[in-house]
Amino acid sequence: MTADTQQTNEILARYPHEREQLIQVLQDVNRTFNYLPAESLRRVSEALDVPIADVYGVARFYAAFSLEPRGRNIVQVCEGTACHVRGASGVGDEFKRTLGLPDEGGTTEDMEFTVVGVNCVGACALGPVVIANGEYHGHMRANKVGKLVRNMRKKD
Amino acid sequence: MLNLDINGRRVTVRKGTALLAAIREAGFDVPTLCHHEALEPYGACRLCVVEVREPGRSKTRVVTSCNYPASAGLEVETESDAVVHTRREVLDLLLARCPGSSVIRQLAASVGLRRSSYPPDQNRDNCILCGLCVRVCEHLGYSAITLAGRGGGREVAAPLKEPPPDCVGCGACVRICPTGNIPLVDRDGMRRVWDRDFEMVRCTGCGRAYITREYLQSRVASSGLPASHFELCDECSRSRAAQTMYQHMVLGDKEASHE
Amino acid sequence: MQAIRSDRELKKYREGLVAARDPKRKVVSVCTGTGCKAYKCDDLASALQAEVDRQGLSDKVEIVPTGCHGFCERGSLLVIYPDDIFYQKVPAERAAEIVEKTLAGGEILEDLLYEDPVTGKRIVKEGDIPFYKHQQQLLFGPGRRMRPGSIDDYIALGGYEALAKVLGEMQPDEVVDLIVASGLRGRGGGGFPTGVKWRTCRDAPGDPKYVICNADEGDPGAYMDRSLLEGNPHSVIEGMVIGAYAIGSSHGYIYVRNEYPLAVSNVHAALDQAREAGLVGDNIFGTDFCFDVRVSRGGGAFVCGESTALMASLEGYVGEPRAKYVHTVEHGLYDKPTNLNNVETWANVPLIVNKGVDWYTSIGTGDVSQSPWGGSKGTKIFSLVGKVKNTGLVEVPMGISLRQIIYDIGGGVLDDRAFKAVQTGGPSGGCLPESFLDKPVDFDELTRAGSMMGSGGMIVMDDRTCMVDVARYFVKFLLDESCGKCVPCREGNRRMLEILSRICEGRGVPSDLDLLERLGLAMKRGSLCALGQTAPNPVLSTLHHFRHEYEAHIEEHRCPAAVCRSLITYTINDACNGCTLCKRVCPHKAISGEKKKAHVIDQSKCDQCGVCIQSCKFDAIDVA
Repeated sequence: MTADTQQTNEILARYPHEREQLIQVLQDVNRTFNYLPAESLRRVSEALDVPIADVYGVARFYAAFSLEPRGRNIVQVCEGTACHVRGASGVGDEFKRTLGLPDEGGTTEDMEFTVVGVNCVGACALGPVVIANGEYHGHMRANKVGKLVRNMRKKD
Repeated sequence: MLNLDINGRRVTVRKGTALLAAIREAGFDVPTLCHHEALEPYGACRLCVVEVREPGRSKTRVVTSCNYPASAGLEVETESDAVVHTRREVLDLLLARCPGSSVIRQLAASVGLRRSSYPPDQNRDNCILCGLCVRVCEHLGYSAITLAGRGGGREVAAPLKEPPPDCVGCGACVRICPTGNIPLVDRDGMRRVWDRDFEMVRCTGCGRAYITREYLQSRVASSGLPASHFELCDECSRSRAAQTMYQHMVLGDKEASHE
Repeated sequence: MQAIRSDRELKKYREGLVAARDPKRKVVSVCTGTGCKAYKCDDLASALQAEVDRQGLSDKVEIVPTGCHGFCERGSLLVIYPDDIFYQKVPAERAAEIVEKTLAGGEILEDLLYEDPVTGKRIVKEGDIPFYKHQQQLLFGPGRRMRPGSIDDYIALGGYEALAKVLGEMQPDEVVDLIVASGLRGRGGGGFPTGVKWRTCRDAPGDPKYVICNADEGDPGAYMDRSLLEGNPHSVIEGMVIGAYAIGSSHGYIYVRNEYPLAVSNVHAALDQAREAGLVGDNIFGTDFCFDVRVSRGGGAFVCGESTALMASLEGYVGEPRAKYVHTVEHGLYDKPTNLNNVETWANVPLIVNKGVDWYTSIGTGDVSQSPWGGSKGTKIFSLVGKVKNTGLVEVPMGISLRQIIYDIGGGVLDDRAFKAVQTGGPSGGCLPESFLDKPVDFDELTRAGSMMGSGGMIVMDDRTCMVDVARYFVKFLLDESCGKCVPCREGNRRMLEILSRICEGRGVPSDLDLLERLGLAMKRGSLCALGQTAPNPVLSTLHHFRHEYEAHIEEHRCPAAVCRSLITYTINDACNGCTLCKRVCPHKAISGEKKKAHVIDQSKCDQCGVCIQSCKFDAIDVA
């Protein structure tokens, strides 16, 4: 049994093994591994008695889940309407440009950064908002991006 | 039993019947793409839309006839302006999505649409996301493939984008696909579908490789019938049964074996 | 905590709590809602507590971290009771000073007070501040004076009295009748009469029955439900228990959006406490009635706010809606009768039980004596955001005008720019221009005006907001969030986005506008669920009220609001003194110039990213 499977089993032990818990289990798996490893999905399929195709379909449908490993630093750019009218798209573009990522965002090759747009985080008074590794940065502007990226790179 | 009106014609159906059956009972029809008698209605293609008015209401609604339950006194119009327009728009969108599909082109032409109002997608196959393949696979008990993603990125996919482990190579998805989009190749006793290779079993009658080993095993397990029941392909099995019946009923041979 | 088994025991418990509180003790209510967490309010709260302990004042001062107060623009903020002293934009470093000077010494720190922008005067009391003065915080108010999910605080303020009254004195049918008579309508956006829904569910054959709280608040810019659930989860729980009793259900679910971790943990904590107190679970209040609640986290999908998609997600499936020709009150979760209501709707229930129909129907618009459809009763919480000065959550009686909300409470447009439009109803709603500002806000008026009240998101837009870009933004959102099942929504949103993007990039053609209208109509008629059916609304409403902006993009290749990057030019003007800052920060190396000499932008390299204009300290760069 690999470490992945063991950790997955620990998560599974916290829930009744029924279909209703599928999304809750996957949430915990995604949080533990920072994404959904294939082996983990197979274990969940087995334990909850849900076909692997169904587990995969659920994993692909919801924005909370990533099927690809994500970077060490996660940058979430709020794309809520209030942030948008205050210029969030310019901030998002600047992150992607600085890190060499395409329009859809994604993860840098060195696995240092993942930049992703997220739905409204409900801190509209501070818009545009960027959440960098769980920390809220309000009133973000394109010209503040460079410094933020440098600071995140420095910390380990 | 209840009575309702289809295009002014009265028809009587059992409670719980969907409008589509009532419409056909009344002698009319509507186009469908994602519908199949053997499966639960899905309501995805929206081609089967009709305009209905509940008794006593002034407003009408545009609803899908495949899953709208017939009710007493309902008035249904299958060719009102609203539904004709809606169907045309749906086909306009599908024509742009699958410009290479002859089925979609024909359907579009039937409403007078030869060119889409939108730039046609390039480099796309003919999947219209009707879901029939996934639905029939689930219905047969395999759930080997799934609809993945949402919005513009939605697609039919094998889990983890690998050859699906639960697929038994029955080919039901291939046959049910309205645009023939799923490739399947049978050659030299092997079947390739969904990037998996299946060994096929030959009919002891005609020698044709007619069923995959996996599907045969699955049918034996689920039907409770012996493996010998599956030694003959459908055609040979029917000929054998006809022969037996002929011998038994016409020639009076009481010892003729039943299979 | 011991289980409470009767109304009498509840009363005794509450009296005990109140008696244990020293009325002379000052209470400092510190907002610790998610919005203020971004302002490091947790540091402020703990610093205050540390200071109080250090200065030996714990018997004289109580620091109470609460849920959201609503005035998010001014975070971190705190209120000192009983004097009602309001401090705003408080950094944690001022904690010692506040404790020493104000709490111990009775001295007001002027610079922490709110300054009225019109009079220039500093206001001491929270109740005198215009932002609060014009509100009626029936639902939000209690949350500002209690620790989130503290059942003791909730009971001390009168919590669970409504439930005690219902279980002790009322039959289920009477409870349903009460809610029907109150005129309460769904706060999630649908506006369906809650009592009617309860009655239909109660009458539907099938067992078990389910009650669900829809906390999948997905409209971008709307966070009322989150704040209610974070700050006062017991009010929602109490509402659900009452509803379950009325309907005949023993199983409840709270479906919370994945992006609200604090709400999830506060709800879990509150449920644990309620179970311990015997107010959720078996034999509630010592009666035969049993009801428990499971909390389910969403996976991140806007479409799961739609009831059939939510139920599919609850069951562990993808959030694909299904046709509602058979209603979910009859066949819903696991095909059983299911009553689903929004967070704010549930929170209204204990209020109605406690205060009665006459009081409740005196607030709001219309006449519900014949039918709950006849009016909009009670209050509504709005999230007032965007280009507005006082961004935050506001609770007002229905019938108040847009102008009163945006100007009297909101303080008007940010930077005093010109008002252009207010967007309500989220992606299902529309934009209304200035001529509609005096419209009363309720379920029906805004719908008649071409928008809708929706779940409460209210986004203010100024002359620097491009309405074509706004339409494109909403369509892109809906395309991403569409489940993809039906052709009109999936393909329709995709094509709408294509057309709008072309227009924003200056490649639009006049026939695009007719095509948008034709496609929009097909989507309204042909889509499977409300997401697709209402997707055309932002496009059609902006086309209706701001057609000239679309035409300027198409015919003149001009973006009047100077937003669409392909249609604007950045130029350096006479104010440039050659400081070289813009040249250094420009990521595209598009600016050239010598020190102390006017700089110039090379248009062929310029990407209109805006970094230069944000950095310039001399207003030397123009956009047109």
